[in-house]
Amino acid sequence: MIELAQVVKTYSAGLATPYTAVAGVTLDIPGGQLTVLKGPSGSGKTTLLSLIGCMARPTSGRIHLRGLPPGLLPQGADADPLEITSLPERFLTTIRRRTFGFIFQQFNLVRGISVLENVMLPTYPTGEDRETVEARAVTRLEALGMARHLKAPVDRLSGGEAQRVAIARALINDPPVIIADEPTAHLDSRLSAEFMELMGQFKGAGRTLLIASHDPIVHDSPLADLVIVMRDGQVVTAP
Amino acid sequence: MIQHPGVLALLLASGLVTLLVVAAAGLGWQILRHWDQHSGTESQLALERRTYLVSALLSLALGVQVLSLFLFIFTADGLHSQFVGAMCAAGSLAAAPYGYTTLLLKVGTCLLAGAWIVLHRADIRAYDCPLIRPKFGLLLGLAPLVLAETWFQTRYLTGLRADVMTSCCGSLFGQGREGIAAELAGLPPALMHPLFWGSLLAFAVAGGWFLRTRRGALAFSLLGLAFFVIALVALVSVFGLYIYELPTHHCPFCLLHREHGFVGYPLYATLLGGALTALGVGVLSPFRGRTSLASVLPAMQAKLAWTALGCAAVFTLIVGIWALVSPLRL
Repeated sequence: MIELAQVVKTYSAGLATPYTAVAGVTLDIPGGQLTVLKGPSGSGKTTLLSLIGCMARPTSGRIHLRGLPPGLLPQGADADPLEITSLPERFLTTIRRRTFGFIFQQFNLVRGISVLENVMLPTYPTGEDRETVEARAVTRLEALGMARHLKAPVDRLSGGEAQRVAIARALINDPPVIIADEPTAHLDSRLSAEFMELMGQFKGAGRTLLIASHDPIVHDSPLADLVIVMRDGQVVTAP
Repeated sequence: MIQHPGVLALLLASGLVTLLVVAAAGLGWQILRHWDQHSGTESQLALERRTYLVSALLSLALGVQVLSLFLFIFTADGLHSQFVGAMCAAGSLAAAPYGYTTLLLKVGTCLLAGAWIVLHRADIRAYDCPLIRPKFGLLLGLAPLVLAETWFQTRYLTGLRADVMTSCCGSLFGQGREGIAAELAGLPPALMHPLFWGSLLAFAVAGGWFLRTRRGALAFSLLGLAFFVIALVALVSVFGLYIYELPTHHCPFCLLHREHGFVGYPLYATLLGGALTALGVGVLSPFRGRTSLASVLPAMQAKLAWTALGCAAVFTLIVGIWALVSPLRL
């Protein structure tokens, strides 16, 4: 599903203090499976996720996506595989929105607005009918056991609840790929296990899951089909 | 040099456009030599990033270049009161060397700049930059013209001195004078009427054929360019006379004056806009086979063709109405 070829990401390239966060990674991440990127802080996991999720561009190397939903490019121009590192921003925006759901370490919920509005936020640029979106958001939140918090401001949620809202928001555009960066960093063991259970359900529904974590509950989980160990920006072990 | 706001704006705009075009031409040279989208090397990715930025800036700069043609004529017209004998821009352009050379170069660069913008607009609608080489190849051809135009324009504008004696439009475009401009202006209505209406009919038929079948883009483009050149000559030799209500006044610039309702501006805007869009249809034609442009180009070409035909219709309507209401009969 996601193929990386000799991907390098150097920050401050050409300046006095360049820093290479990802150093020549070549990978093949299968679709419909749960892949874990494991490694200590600074090993390049987050940078690699941001490159795959079209939130940053590599310094060199190419990333190809296969099996994307149709209609991301102008009619009749769909390409499979699609090379994303050379795509102009106008196409990347659509691909990012329709292909990937992001769950961040800090959850990144917008304070001051309700749970429901947070979940609906990623749909606003699509121009989709509000009633349809709201119905979908409610369904997602109900499935995650958050029905009674729909109108609650996100400021009042516990860590586990906030994460469920973040998950519902990641799913609102029905993306085939979910990217999660250290999703259990702020959760206790019980909530982390619950999180993995949810991931198992999404995997069962055919979604591709890509999680960066150094939490044993995640990388030692029997649900993980593939564990890729990273260190110093390079892949240490991969199948 | 006369320190008129228009003169300063033209010098500044030309300087900036030239700087950007020359810098972009350097990038264009690298693209023509090294562009390889299959490669994931650092230099290729850096080239891609710079290309997006430079192309975006360049499309704005070339838009300014197109508009600067009107500013140039407007400024020349506004300066005519500074020169002895000048009645309009015709006299101002003759008041220092290279005035008409600059005007001709500006028309040429406007058409090429328009073609570049059309190519760019198509290129950014595709995900794989399919027109990157033609686009920057064209830029390498455009750069020397822009440089020459800036050089001649600077020489002309800095060479302008107040109170010099110059020729009026009557002596430059009057019947019986020598030179290409005077000869074109003196072409008889008996020749220009059939030429104008015939070329309009051919252009309209080619447009209808193209919009219906999506074939004959090149023929439409060439007929369009021919029509707008003939329309320009017809405006000076025949239609202008109805506007001036004088059988001997053939000036292409007096049309821009208040006493004639500033009619020159919409007329020249439709001529230039029509020529640019008709040219655009033909410029895109060779690239219709590119997969990533398959769904984009037909719609773009149709929009350009409709615009070109619309410009021709508006031009014809204005000169037609003026000919009908004018008391002059030729």
